[in-house]
Amino acid sequence: MAKLKWLLPLGLGVALLSLWELAVRSAGIPVFVLPPPSGICVALLENGAALGGSLLVTLKITALAFFWAVLGGVGLAIVFTRARLIELALYPYVVTLQVTPVVAIAPLILIWVGFDNVDRALIIIAWIVAFFPMLTNSVQGLRSIDPQLHDLMTLSGASWSQRLLYLELPAALPAILTGAKISGGLALIGAVVAEFVAGSGASTGLAWRIIEAGNRLEIALMFAALALLSVLGIALFYALSLMEYLMLRRWHESYQR
Amino acid sequence: MITPHLRLSDISLTYDTGLTALNAIHADFAPGSFTALVGPSGCGKSSLLRVLAGLQPPSSGTLTAIESNDIGFVFQEPTLLAWKSAAENIALPLRISGLGRAEIDRRIDAALRLVGLQARADALPRQLSGGMKMRVSLARALAKQPPVLLMDEPFAALDELTRFRLDDDLRAIWHQTGCTIIFVTHSVTEAAYLAERALVMGPGHIKTELQIEQSGRGDDFRSTAAFHRACADISAALGAQGVM
Repeated sequence: MAKLKWLLPLGLGVALLSLWELAVRSAGIPVFVLPPPSGICVALLENGAALGGSLLVTLKITALAFFWAVLGGVGLAIVFTRARLIELALYPYVVTLQVTPVVAIAPLILIWVGFDNVDRALIIIAWIVAFFPMLTNSVQGLRSIDPQLHDLMTLSGASWSQRLLYLELPAALPAILTGAKISGGLALIGAVVAEFVAGSGASTGLAWRIIEAGNRLEIALMFAALALLSVLGIALFYALSLMEYLMLRRWHESYQR
Repeated sequence: MITPHLRLSDISLTYDTGLTALNAIHADFAPGSFTALVGPSGCGKSSLLRVLAGLQPPSSGTLTAIESNDIGFVFQEPTLLAWKSAAENIALPLRISGLGRAEIDRRIDAALRLVGLQARADALPRQLSGGMKMRVSLARALAKQPPVLLMDEPFAALDELTRFRLDDDLRAIWHQTGCTIIFVTHSVTEAAYLAERALVMGPGHIKTELQIEQSGRGDDFRSTAAFHRACADISAALGAQGVM
């Protein structure tokens, strides 16, 4: 059974790629409409260095946006759970930031921040996308702590930092990590959206490669960049899952079977 | 250890919802005494305990102030940190109060010995049975060496055999430490077995105070006439709302 978990999706992938290759060749579909997988591989290898550089650019934007989303989300969640008034005052604006389509705000951010520093504008745009689930999950985690545990801290005479360190952060960790898994994926989406909006010349990430390749009808290169984006997303997800596993497996119910 | 004489005078508690939990309560707890607060669910016994602990300020009335460091509180649930071992859970309040490493280790050992769990010091809560978790919780309260131990139906969720064993252990711990124990329970038999005195509660007030015969008490207290008399007295005091 354990082997099947790997073999089945792998086999399906190989079968689909072979079918794609065969269909494109036998039907004579032109490469500027749909290139065969072999063509995409060639494009990937030929443009390896350039694509690798773009991968790093997108990774950097994603990672920084994610980092600030985690820091800001957990930080603001702590403020919210400690100061109800601040939450009441701020929450509608946080929701507004979330529900306003980021593509619509992006040009503004580019005008305000992007002239001097495009990367910073891209990071801010990706951050807006990634921030909200981090905040809501952290708030949820901090709010779900057993009130008796809070009583215990009160009776022990815990300071607010001791309460945070000994009780709140570890108890909210499962929810925070769930938020991080969602937020990590969204940071990548945000980075791609940001690059799209910034347009060519401003950015040099993978999304920009896709636009460029599309403009030149280099569809194989487009697919190659797309494949790298997928790999980046998958790697991000599994890295965060691994982190979650390492931090929770000893004690959390979700790992006890 | 200076054990304070706990006094409640004219304590009332009305929650924001308008619910009156306690109505002009007077009570007195002598140093080193073992009192059971008995009453049906919702009569305010847990509220009274929370007021005593300083967790809930009363709406009116006065009570002896106790330092939170002088209180050991045992909750209805074990209330352990799931990511900490038994020993680390016991150490938590001690670390917060700023005790030294050596003293903390010494107290963990002593507390684990009191509750008979030396062998499971490194176990996580999920690796312990319900009774063992409750023992860790008790050990955590005892490790503070508190002059006052407040217990809120701590053994209610356990099976009867485990509860009998913990009741016996608690009596032994009380004799050994000499602390004042106030034990909330809805079980008449548990109150009669554990305590020297039962405060029988009705909704929001104390109905009666009953002394429970302690002289000549042996291991088989549960089969003596004195025990059955105590049970009958408490049941009678509970009246129509009697709960076993």
